[in-house]
Amino acid sequence: MSRNSLEKVLYDLSTSGANKKLFASDPDKFLGRYQLDDQEKDLVLNYRVRELADRGVNTMLTWGFWLQAGKSNSDYMKIMKREEA
Amino acid sequence: MAEIVGGFVVPHNPVMYFNPKGASQEQSDTVYGAYAKMADRIKELKADTAIIIGCDHYILFGTECLPRYVISTGEIEGPVDQLPGIKRAPIASNAALGEHIAQHGFATGFDWTVGRALHVDHSVGIPHHLMVKPNGGMTTVAVMLACGVDPYLPIRRAWDLGENIAEAVAGFPGSDRVVVIGSGGISHHVGDERMGEVNPDFDRKILDIVIQGDKAGMLALTDEEILRDGGNGAMEIRTYACAMAATRAAGGTVVAYEPIPGWVTGMGFAELKVAA
Repeated sequence: MSRNSLEKVLYDLSTSGANKKLFASDPDKFLGRYQLDDQEKDLVLNYRVRELADRGVNTMLTWGFWLQAGKSNSDYMKIMKREEA
Repeated sequence: MAEIVGGFVVPHNPVMYFNPKGASQEQSDTVYGAYAKMADRIKELKADTAIIIGCDHYILFGTECLPRYVISTGEIEGPVDQLPGIKRAPIASNAALGEHIAQHGFATGFDWTVGRALHVDHSVGIPHHLMVKPNGGMTTVAVMLACGVDPYLPIRRAWDLGENIAEAVAGFPGSDRVVVIGSGGISHHVGDERMGEVNPDFDRKILDIVIQGDKAGMLALTDEEILRDGGNGAMEIRTYACAMAATRAAGGTVVAYEPIPGWVTGMGFAELKVAA
C-alpha cells in the first residue's frame, strides 16, 4: 500500500493533459505505469476519493482529481462527508 | 544598500476567480478594494521589487521532489494554473536579488532550492497580478514555502528564513526598495469534508498576532491547532511568519477582513510596519 504512488498518479493527472487523455482512453495502460496494487487501482478507477483521503492522500489532489473529471463539487462534498452522492 | 520598505499579508484565493458569486457584492468589493489599497500603498512606498512568499499546492512540485523552500534566481513564469483574467505569462524578475538572497542563505545555514527558471502558481500569481503588476516597472522575487504538502516547513524555520531574507536584502549592493508579501489564506479547508467552514475567531487570532508583531504567539502555534481550528489551508500562515520576520516583526494594521464561506476562506489583509 503506498500513499506515495497514489499521490503520484493524481498529481500526474492534475498536471498533464496527455495523462488525462490516456487515463480516459486506456486507464489500465495508464495505471500500469505505477506501483499500485489492484485495490489501489480500483480506488483511482472508481474515483473513491473518500477512501483515497482515508489512506492519507492529500485532499488538494483528491479534489482536483474529482473536478478534472467533470464531476460536481456538491457530489464530492457528499462523498467526503460520507453521505450518499 | 537595498532596503525593505514595507510588508503585507494577503490571501491568494483562486475561488474568487472561479466562483465570483460565492461572495456578496459587498464582500467582493471589500476584498478587491483591499488589494487595490495595497497596490496604492506599494506605489506610495516607491517600491521597485516585491518578494512574494507563496506556497505550492501540489501544482508545481510532485512526489518526486518536494522542496522545503524555493527562491527564484532567474526567470519567473506563471501562474501555471491559469485563472479567469490571469493568464500564464513571464513575470519580471529581480534575478540578482534572488541570487543574492540564495547565496547569503548558503553561507549562513539556509540551503535554498533555487529556481533558475521558476514556474509559480496562483499563490504568487494572484498577489502579483493585483498588487505588483499595477505598479509598472516593478520586479519580483518569488519564494515558495512547503505549506500545502507535507512535510511542512516548521513555522520557526519559516520565521528564521524571513530574518535571513532581511539580512540578505540589507546587504544587497543596490538601491532596491523592497516590499515583502506573505501570501496565504487564514482559515480554509481544501478538499476535505470541512471545506466551506471558516473560523473568524481563529482568523482574528492570527491577524492579532500579525499586527502586534507577536513572534512568540506565532511560534506557539502548533500544526495540530492550525489544522483543527484553521484547516489544512491555514498551514499557509507560514508565509505570514516569514513576512513578519523579514520586516522585523514591528507590528502592523489590518486593512480588511472578510470571512467568506462561499470562497471557502477567511480572507485577511494586513500591512506590516518595518522596524527602523
